[in-house]
Amino acid sequence: MIEINNLIKNFGEKTAVNIEHFQIQDGQMLGLVGNNGAGKTTLFRLALDLLEADQGNVTIEGVDVSKSEEWKKTTGAFIDDGFLIDYLSPEEFFYFSGRLYGLSKEDIDERLKEFEHFMSGEVIGQKKLIRNYSAGNKQKIGIISAMLHYPQVLILDEPFNFLDPTSQSLIKHLLKKYNEEHQATVIISSHNLNHTVDICPKIALLEKGIIIKDLVNENNSAEKELEEYFNVEE
Amino acid sequence: MNIFKELWKQGKLASKRNPMFDKSKTAKIWIYIGVAFWAGYLIFLGVMLGVALRGEHVYRSQLFGTLVLIPFIMVIDFLMRFPFQQTPTQEVKPYLLLPVHKQRIIDFLLIRSGLDTFNLFWFFFFIPFGCVTVVGYFGILSLISYLLCIWILILINNYWHLLCRTLMNENLVWLLLPILFYGGIISLIFIPKKFPAANILLNIGEGYLNFNLLYIIPTIGIGVLLWIICSKLMKKLVYKEINRVDDTKIKHLSEYQFLDRYGLLGEFFRLELKMLFRNRATKMSMRVIFICVIAFCGVMSFTPVYNDAFGKFFVTTYAFCAVGVTLLQRIMAFEGNYIDGLMVRKECILTLLKAKYNLATLFVILPFCLLIPAIIKAKITLLFVVSVASFCSGFVYFLLFQLAVYNTETVPLNTKIAARQSTSSMQKVITFAALLFPMGIYPIMEWACGQKIGDSILLFIGLAFILTSNIWLRNIYQRFMARRYKNMEDFRDSRNNE
Repeated sequence: MIEINNLIKNFGEKTAVNIEHFQIQDGQMLGLVGNNGAGKTTLFRLALDLLEADQGNVTIEGVDVSKSEEWKKTTGAFIDDGFLIDYLSPEEFFYFSGRLYGLSKEDIDERLKEFEHFMSGEVIGQKKLIRNYSAGNKQKIGIISAMLHYPQVLILDEPFNFLDPTSQSLIKHLLKKYNEEHQATVIISSHNLNHTVDICPKIALLEKGIIIKDLVNENNSAEKELEEYFNVEE
Repeated sequence: MNIFKELWKQGKLASKRNPMFDKSKTAKIWIYIGVAFWAGYLIFLGVMLGVALRGEHVYRSQLFGTLVLIPFIMVIDFLMRFPFQQTPTQEVKPYLLLPVHKQRIIDFLLIRSGLDTFNLFWFFFFIPFGCVTVVGYFGILSLISYLLCIWILILINNYWHLLCRTLMNENLVWLLLPILFYGGIISLIFIPKKFPAANILLNIGEGYLNFNLLYIIPTIGIGVLLWIICSKLMKKLVYKEINRVDDTKIKHLSEYQFLDRYGLLGEFFRLELKMLFRNRATKMSMRVIFICVIAFCGVMSFTPVYNDAFGKFFVTTYAFCAVGVTLLQRIMAFEGNYIDGLMVRKECILTLLKAKYNLATLFVILPFCLLIPAIIKAKITLLFVVSVASFCSGFVYFLLFQLAVYNTETVPLNTKIAARQSTSSMQKVITFAALLFPMGIYPIMEWACGQKIGDSILLFIGLAFILTSNIWLRNIYQRFMARRYKNMEDFRDSRNNE
């Protein structure tokens, strides 16, 4: 279980995150939505101990992420290019990431097969370094490397960004399948309401760092409420 | 709007608002101590050398002695500029889109480089040296004239360094240019029978001391000529740099499979090798430093140039320390590009530091091999070389690794034109200490204990640090983790500002 307790993060005068209490149950798939500057990425960084909280904490399986590194073994994440070692080829990066979690080259090759369709022949075997790939393919590389070691907690910031429509559809199915097969907790943030509503049974709406709505989304039931909030007109 | 004034202000602000500035407050104390130490050391050297020459009471030999040092100081000055100075082609990027002619910006950056206080540092040596040698024979006006000319020569060296450095960034063959130039001048001094170098130097020296415009104007002319060449060349190369084609396809990807057996450490070792050999910034600096080391070791082994005790010690120490400084001065700054990815994985940084230490220690083999001819020719002893190698891999690396805690500015990996990469005070202090501490401490130890005991002390100090490396690397890791939020934030900020 992921638990957020009394979490506050300020940037100067501005409060980026202010969450009194929030729980994400094991195996849950949560979508985090909100306008620009709502605090989604900041919340992810706090959950991954990449930012210092001014107050409160985030725990993963009862472990305060800022006090121990144990949670890192079972967590996978991709936020932005700062997660990619761009002078490696994608294969090298996958092997490097996998080996950090004790996976052999054979294991990694086997696991990469699950992503073959998603990579659509443009990632592996190109003899190119990551820095020379398009933004979309870099996004794919980052997402795959976060999932390779089958983490129990998967955190992805804007996973649909830069992807073509086919890849967006594929990643939706991959994430859903991953959540079901591994009983993993999956948290994604997105500006794409349709995709989020399609795959997340639970959606948290963030505004100025505060979770203002914690919506249960059964059969896209949250869609109407979200559209009203974002003032989307048909 | 005065563009020069604005850019000058921006340069100041860039340093002041640098992510490293916060740490610089602490480091500033150290830099003052460091500067005071080396200033004192240079003053001491200046006075002692001056007094030694004064004892001869022979006008021409004293004059020659006063001047013959300059080429050697120019060589040291040239080498010292590598870790501390950026070329305008590296600094110009943030200004490329301004509605100002690029030539003007480059000219400004060249002027700023000339006015840098770094160019005045040698005065700590020349003022006392000049006071002792020049004033007694030639008077105070001659001293002023002498110092003015020295400053012009240092400025010439500054622009000469920028020119060579810019050309070397394009093609490493240009490294031959400074080697031939300095090698040529020094050789001329050492073959006075075949070439009247001594007389030429004496004439120039007299011209400088007497404020003879026939000598001073051509000297200024050389400086201006170099400035013009730098300015034109840099403008041309900036365009070339912008139109650079990237490495879109790689023919062969090295796997370093032999590292598989070393587990995670091997994995990070492999990462280090790939970082060094696949990125322009790291590749170029490694090439330059290796060529310099090869050249120095070759000159010491096969020519009489460095036959004196200090020369031998200088070359040996430089050969070992320079590689370490090049590898480690920007430790973690390259990793700033992907620090988030490392930080979400357990104890990645500790393993990374261990791999870096192992790699840097392995690189010591290169200067060691290059010094074997000098050992065979009995110019230096095996004990001496082993001692310096040990001291460097132990104590000097220990110093340089401290930067892993304090380096927080991301350095772009694959660009020659970098967004203003300043060298922080902490980097300056530690790099200065790493390069100059051995050179300062060894003569003292040799003087106090004799050569063999001095060598043995260096050896044991080095070994102590090598054998305890796991302990101090863990300590560095813990300190890094203790200030991880600040470091990560600064890495992110500087990465986003590229």
